Amino acid sequence: MGSMARSLREVVNDLWKWTVDRLERTTIVVYKFTVPKTYVSPFGYLGTLTAIVFAILGVSGAFLMFYYRPDVELAYLSVKEITEQVPFGFVMRNVHYHASNLMVLLAVLHLYYQYFSGRYKIKNEVLWVTGVVLGVLTILEAYTGYNLIMNQRAMLAINIGMGLTYSAPILGPSLAPIFLGGGLFDLVIRFYALHVFILPLLMLILAAVHFPRALVIDFPAISAVVGAIFIAGGLFPVELGVKFDPTRGLIEVPEWYLTAIYAFLRTGTERFTAGALLPLLFVILFLIVPFVDKSKKLSWRDRPFFTALGVATIVLIVVTTVWGFYVDFSKSTPFEQLYIEPTLFYGSLGVMTITSFLATYRFFSRKAKATRPAPPRPITLTPPQATSLMLALFILMILTVAASFYTYTLSLPNHSMFWLGIAFMLLGLLLHVYRHSILVEQRAGAAREAQKAPAR
Amino acid sequence: MPARRSYLKSILVAAIAVAVSPFANLVSFFYRTNTETAQRQKIANLKDLTPGSAIYFSYPKTGDPKIDNDPFRQYILVMTLEGELRVYSRVCVHLWCLPTYLPQKGALICPCHGSVYREDDGVAVEGPAAYQPYPTNALPMGRIEVDGNGDIWLVGVEGRVGYGREWKRIPPRDLIRRV
Repeated sequence: MGSMARSLREVVNDLWKWTVDRLERTTIVVYKFTVPKTYVSPFGYLGTLTAIVFAILGVSGAFLMFYYRPDVELAYLSVKEITEQVPFGFVMRNVHYHASNLMVLLAVLHLYYQYFSGRYKIKNEVLWVTGVVLGVLTILEAYTGYNLIMNQRAMLAINIGMGLTYSAPILGPSLAPIFLGGGLFDLVIRFYALHVFILPLLMLILAAVHFPRALVIDFPAISAVVGAIFIAGGLFPVELGVKFDPTRGLIEVPEWYLTAIYAFLRTGTERFTAGALLPLLFVILFLIVPFVDKSKKLSWRDRPFFTALGVATIVLIVVTTVWGFYVDFSKSTPFEQLYIEPTLFYGSLGVMTITSFLATYRFFSRKAKATRPAPPRPITLTPPQATSLMLALFILMILTVAASFYTYTLSLPNHSMFWLGIAFMLLGLLLHVYRHSILVEQRAGAAREAQKAPAR
Repeated sequence: MPARRSYLKSILVAAIAVAVSPFANLVSFFYRTNTETAQRQKIANLKDLTPGSAIYFSYPKTGDPKIDNDPFRQYILVMTLEGELRVYSRVCVHLWCLPTYLPQKGALICPCHGSVYREDDGVAVEGPAAYQPYPTNALPMGRIEVDGNGDIWLVGVEGRVGYGREWKRIPPRDLIRRV
């Protein structure tokens, strides 16, 4: 019999081991979580970052559900209450809003990184196709979300969405009332059901298929992403907008991930073609790419046509997105201010596409033997350097968090969010310096071991 | 043996089909019956109207103010300058504002972006709604009946609220019936 008194630490350790042993009977062990011991390029794990932002959206969204009211009249007022009166309401709403922007952005970056590095090949077709569908669902999720505020901007988006649904051939007239119900009072609660349950559930199911078995969890990057959301909330706090009122007209522009579609609609092209078929072409292009690009080559350098195609899609997305925002205030009526000349618009898109292809091919012919630039020399910190740097970062964190508290007491919630964002950025740096110094220590230890026991 | 196996399989598939068949029309769940089916509702009496006047009302009326005040249930009964009766949905087919009747112009004018709808057939002739392609450039129109007492009844709506109406298919005159 050993000593009866076991330290608390031993008990906790045993309990942990006991649990981990039993987790082997669950599906959780299918996923292999990798925590990188040194810096790795975030491009490789943009998908995991997207998923983490999705989790942040889930948490902040759950908080918002405690106050939000899905009702034509009360929706706007409840969002106003959340923003102006509920403690942490401003923070939750801004986190939710900017995380949604970041999720769309990360998903697009993730798509293009995987596209240019040819990851849709090598048996990844299912991952790729589920990813494209997840991207579309992400946009729909964001769309149903910002419509819940029931302000003028939301109503513009709802109006366009309903118009598009109605104008869909054959199915449209019977599909639209499913969303609209008996009027706006039904629509708001149906969008709410889609936004908080149906779409996220579909996304979770698809994500379970989409996740590769090895997931990279990079804590410094996660901390930086959280910091970025808070800084964005601090610098560009989401507006409440003007409550929807069917007797007042305002010029509104939709969210940035929808202005591209808006630009097409503003040319006066037939509604369904402009707003649904043309954007759908993009989606279909990405869906079929693994089944068209059958070469064994992965790198973008070896696939000039698909690289040029990718570049062209980026150029088209950027140009139409920016064009969608542009309002010509020199014209007198709102209609003229928003009108986009179709010949000019489609002509420019044609020229852009051709130019993208020509430029890409020219780049390839010039840089046929281009060498990759030498990677930057890594910085190695000595243990005393690492310690002082970590201490300095820690002190800066205390100061920024204090600034965050102080500005909160001054009723400046956006300043507060900004400082907290900086604090999370610093925490990310601190985490990185920590793992770096651990790695340096381990290497030094290994070197000492090697010296002690010379090779036989 | 394989023949028997496939026979059993067909019975199994058929059994599953029978079990789920009651849900074949599950999609009807999403359609509100009090808006999708025509409801006969008395709007006004001929005595209440003179040429160039209008009455605003909600349809189909439920008694619930939340539902009755919904923009998508706002309608207008117009007696045109020529003495014709017309019922239109008030939701502008451009951006869903609520137009009002202006007898001086013999038209419905949208307060938001200035779309102008002819009182006679609800077709947009000016403003952004007029630039929208057929059939999204006209207000949905009510199907009305006028009885012997002069009571005006709304019995249904032609077109889709907030979207438009195929106004070339049915002339406005055919939507008014005297019983």
